[in-house]
Amino acid sequence: MRKNFNEVLKERELREKETSEEKEMSLDSSERVKVLSPGQMVFKRFITNRLAVVGSAILIFMFVFAFIAPIFYPYGQTEIFYKYDNSVVDLAQAKVRNEYTAFYKEGAEGVHSSVRNKLTSTITSIEAAGAEEGTIVSSEGDTYTIEKNNDAIYSLFASDYKEICNVGGTSKVGVYDLVGKAIKYEEDVTEVSGLEQKIASAIKDKKTEVSLGGVTYSIKAGKMKKYDIYATAEGFNYTGAKLGAEFEALVSETGTSGSFEYNGKTYSVKTDKNVTTVSEVAGKNFLAYLTTYAFDAHDESTALDDQFKFAALDAIVNGEGFSVNGESFTVSKEDEEFVVYKAGESEAYAALSTLVIRRATGEDNLELALKEKTREVIEEMDASGERTAKFNWEIAQVDANGEYTYDENGDLVKEEREITITNKNGSYTLTVEQVVYLIDTFARPSKEHIVGTDGDGMDVFARMMYGGRVSLLVAFVVVILETILGVIMGGIAGFFGGWVDNLIMRMVDIFYCIPSMPILIIMGALFDAMKMKPYHRLAWLMVVLGVLGWAGVARLVRGQILSLREQEFMVAAEAIGLRTKRRIFTHLVPNVMPQLIVTATSALGGVIITESTLSFLGLGVKHPLATWGTMINSVSTAEAMKAYTYIWVPVGLLICLTVVAFNFVGDGLRDAFDPKMKR
Amino acid sequence: MAKFILRRLALSAIIFFFVTFIIYVLECSLPTSYVEKQAMELALRPGNTKSAQQWIEELNAQYGMDQGIVKGYFTWLGTAGKGEFGDSWTQTMPVTELFRKCIWYSFAMGLISFILEIIIAIPLGVMAARKQYSMADYTVTVFGLIGISMPTFFVATVLKLIFSIRLGWFDLVGMQGRNYATLDEVGRFWDLVAHLVLPIATLTIVSIGSLMRYTRTNMLEVLNADYIRTARAKGLPERKVISHHAFRNTLIPLVTILGGSLPGLFSGALITETLFGIRGIGFYSYYAMTGGDIPFTMFYLAFISILTLLGNLISDILYAVVDPRVRVN
Repeated sequence: MRKNFNEVLKERELREKETSEEKEMSLDSSERVKVLSPGQMVFKRFITNRLAVVGSAILIFMFVFAFIAPIFYPYGQTEIFYKYDNSVVDLAQAKVRNEYTAFYKEGAEGVHSSVRNKLTSTITSIEAAGAEEGTIVSSEGDTYTIEKNNDAIYSLFASDYKEICNVGGTSKVGVYDLVGKAIKYEEDVTEVSGLEQKIASAIKDKKTEVSLGGVTYSIKAGKMKKYDIYATAEGFNYTGAKLGAEFEALVSETGTSGSFEYNGKTYSVKTDKNVTTVSEVAGKNFLAYLTTYAFDAHDESTALDDQFKFAALDAIVNGEGFSVNGESFTVSKEDEEFVVYKAGESEAYAALSTLVIRRATGEDNLELALKEKTREVIEEMDASGERTAKFNWEIAQVDANGEYTYDENGDLVKEEREITITNKNGSYTLTVEQVVYLIDTFARPSKEHIVGTDGDGMDVFARMMYGGRVSLLVAFVVVILETILGVIMGGIAGFFGGWVDNLIMRMVDIFYCIPSMPILIIMGALFDAMKMKPYHRLAWLMVVLGVLGWAGVARLVRGQILSLREQEFMVAAEAIGLRTKRRIFTHLVPNVMPQLIVTATSALGGVIITESTLSFLGLGVKHPLATWGTMINSVSTAEAMKAYTYIWVPVGLLICLTVVAFNFVGDGLRDAFDPKMKR
Repeated sequence: MAKFILRRLALSAIIFFFVTFIIYVLECSLPTSYVEKQAMELALRPGNTKSAQQWIEELNAQYGMDQGIVKGYFTWLGTAGKGEFGDSWTQTMPVTELFRKCIWYSFAMGLISFILEIIIAIPLGVMAARKQYSMADYTVTVFGLIGISMPTFFVATVLKLIFSIRLGWFDLVGMQGRNYATLDEVGRFWDLVAHLVLPIATLTIVSIGSLMRYTRTNMLEVLNADYIRTARAKGLPERKVISHHAFRNTLIPLVTILGGSLPGLFSGALITETLFGIRGIGFYSYYAMTGGDIPFTMFYLAFISILTLLGNLISDILYAVVDPRVRVN
């Protein structure tokens, strides 16, 4: 076992004392002077420097804060926090329906769209006129009638026609081809015998009209020796008995389409391809019920199909019960409302109302009791003219994830809440204050989050720790990298000298001259363009910083080695015949160590500043990795700067403190290694 | 001496050549999407008659990027040597015109903060060295270190918070106030001055620490020298020892380093100008670099390299001029 130098000295002196028996005290006696090794000397000088000690303490704190504290801190750097907050949510919408929905009789669904589109407007005009019925004429000229059953139900009928006569009009018969001497008839036009010869002679005579069988045909020349033939029928061609001049006058008065009454019968006029047909309206054909009623099933799970709805409307109009799919129902009127009961059951099966109440999402699954309560309240509101009303109701409780909560019996947990109804131009909105689960952004400092949360709902204190970890890691890796590069290059240059030295030193000059910040910004933009992953980016950033920074170290090492290699111990090393590698790395480099340590320590601070500046500009380490620079950048707008000083000021101070500490320690180390600077 | 300068100049030229070459290689290895983006934009302009592909080829030819990196670099060097740097893509004006437009703001800011730095840092540094380990020394050392340790963006942000947001004395960013259009010539000048106060303060705070420390270290070194002891032993008054013997010798490294940083006054403050929206060369080059504006970036980086080399040259020459001992070697 090696003994301490002090102990060895003490032992020797004790031995000498025993032998000499002289009680002589010398100046360098170990009893008076404690001999320190060079390392201990440096250490002693270091710890007597107050600033250096403060710096070391700060650094120890930072390392604990960044590397050890996160282990015990409950939150991670990318953990997003949520909070429950009372928020007013739209529960439901209520609206008085004034759109009519048609429920068609089976087999009557094919009503022309021009009629479908006019249904509601026709009913509106019927209501406006206070009439009981109205008619719609489709674009094809068919007449439909709408009859009122009650306030909210109308019936749609189609008219049945019996053709009476057709009135002359011009229609295209076909095309006469002079080459083939034949007529190519239009579709649905019957051939007229003898017409071809008549037209051939008319064309020869350059006449434009021929008449045949009471019909006048006109000829119009077309292209390629083809002629278009039009037929103009004359007068009324009755299918049955003639109805006389008065009837014909009414027909021409009506025009191309419409209807009129004659002799107690209704006639309809329709024009198709220039031929006007007059038909007698013989009867009407029931097609559909039109209603503003909305159906609310009592049981939320019951889906009411159109068949059921049609049958129910039919029952209301005809005052009977109905049966659908083998089940029979009865309808009764209660308080302006129709309620459907299943046969033999006393509880309502469904209700019909013109006030539609739906969830804000549009789904129809609100419970019937709430709907009825809402109707009541809205009626009261309408009666009193209030714009808003409130009532309490038990609604299903929603938990953190926005899902319903159930008790141990599997029933929905309900809580009483105040529901507000607001009337806005006839549409009612039901709002309720509910607990909602939100991302907790920019929370003020609290017990859970010592420094609050940032704009992404992440804990700022946790990110400070992890940010410190990244910053310190980057600093150390970069400095180690540039020191290794610098020592190798500087060592080679200093030791060999000559053209090697010249070459390496010119490289050093070049790297000294390269503007590093612009290069880093360009690299940042390049990484952005390459859409690099955060961790890869971090690694590349460290490499780039290291490569840009080695020149200073190399210059320092070379300078030191140039002066050291002329010294006697190097001559001795050469004389013993040591290999070059060993002479450089075991004899020269350790002598450069003190300066290296000092510059490296100060360089650590510089790297932290560079990294945080880059991250602040958004070109360094990227989200979601936390670094001190990005944390400050996230609140760099004027508003955020003012509102969230508790985020960016502590982070900025952490950066300053760390860099100051590195500089303190660096200064302390330099003074300790090089006591010449001390007076 | 002339031979020394000539040798240094030749060396600087070689270094400049390699530095610009490295930068050129870096620029060319950027994703070509920048050129493509530019070509797309040009192709979409009204009155344009070329397709995007033709524009890409034309732009590549214009910047010599279709000839391979080495040949392309020499093409760039050739045109740059004639003073032609092309048009800035982001600012759509000739690079040299943009440079003339913005350089003086950068220079004014640099010069003022440089003067402030000298006025504040040197006396404080000398004072700290004279009374080493006194309270004043510790204060100067600690504040100097804090100044060095604060990142520019943090100083800028703190100054903005205090003076722009809380006190409302200055605008947050930009160079013109809201009522700029209504001001007369003199008013506009003062408006500009008001907008430059915070950036200059930032620059000064950030750079003052290192000069203070440098002065202190050199002063301490001089004060430990034998000739100072001799001067004191001869019974010279302390004031004379400091001002005549010590400070003059401290000036040797100071003048060297300050002279060397003179060209740097033109290089602009990348971060400060960007954060405060001062339309100097740093501001434009930042957006040129992030926006892939190759012509302006190349020009800016070459310009910075020349400034650095010039700075080194000046400090080497000054070193020889100021210190007669160096001239012997």
